[in-house]
Amino acid sequence: MTNLPTHLTTDEIELWAQGLLPAARTMHLADCSLCRVEADRERKVILELVQLPRFAPAAGFADRVMAQVRMPTPSGNFQP
Amino acid sequence: MAWAKQGHEAAFRELVRRYERPVFSLLYRMVRDRALAEDLAQETFIKVLNGIKSYKPEFKFSSWIFKIANNAAIDHLRRKSLDTLSLDGSPTAQTPEQMHATALQLGDRGASPLQEVENRELGTAIERAIARLRPEYRSCIMLRHVEGYSYEEIAATLELPLGTVKTYIHRARNELRGYLEDRKDETGPRAAP
Repeated sequence: MTNLPTHLTTDEIELWAQGLLPAARTMHLADCSLCRVEADRERKVILELVQLPRFAPAAGFADRVMAQVRMPTPSGNFQP
Repeated sequence: MAWAKQGHEAAFRELVRRYERPVFSLLYRMVRDRALAEDLAQETFIKVLNGIKSYKPEFKFSSWIFKIANNAAIDHLRRKSLDTLSLDGSPTAQTPEQMHATALQLGDRGASPLQEVENRELGTAIERAIARLRPEYRSCIMLRHVEGYSYEEIAATLELPLGTVKTYIHRARNELRGYLEDRKDETGPRAAP
């Protein structure tokens, strides 16, 4: 009787997509087409997500914030 | 942080410079409106900097700021009843006509320059798919994959049970896969007759 290893969990598939899954578990993918298909689909979406850009607010954002921040004085009070 | 806690303006500015992009990006993807995201980002930084003396160093500073930003976005979405910002129209639309009338029109002629920027920035397939997610899924997935937070950090930041965070992220990725694959099916090459 063959002792089939258990399918990869969602957490393990995420680790695999990040290249962090231990080799012993990664080997399961070579034998299990079900997990391989699932892992490939998951990797595609994770790759799209990690490549998302960060957007910048309009120029002068920090100035607009600082204009409304109450700067504390050395005594701990706030400047008007 | 220590300098900022003592009220040094340069340190405050450095904190804004360091976190303005991550905070603005999270808010922009939550509300999909540049001007509004900027207002919420300003509100977030003002709250953080005015309350810096109450910051507890055992808590990650970025977690604190993301928590305030996320609360601002969720509060706004609740106020405006935009729980599910759908590209296909209002979630309350009952008929195809109502859905069409309330649908987001990307690339409309006559769009303002700001709308054109928004369409360009948020018009890709993955961004449109993210827009279809529930807001709580959206913030979890952004923190996980854009900011690289661990599940535990997300749970602490958003004050959610760890199991809930895992469920949200797995469901979000599942939905995203579905949206992206559906789109490929619609736009992919048609088989020859």
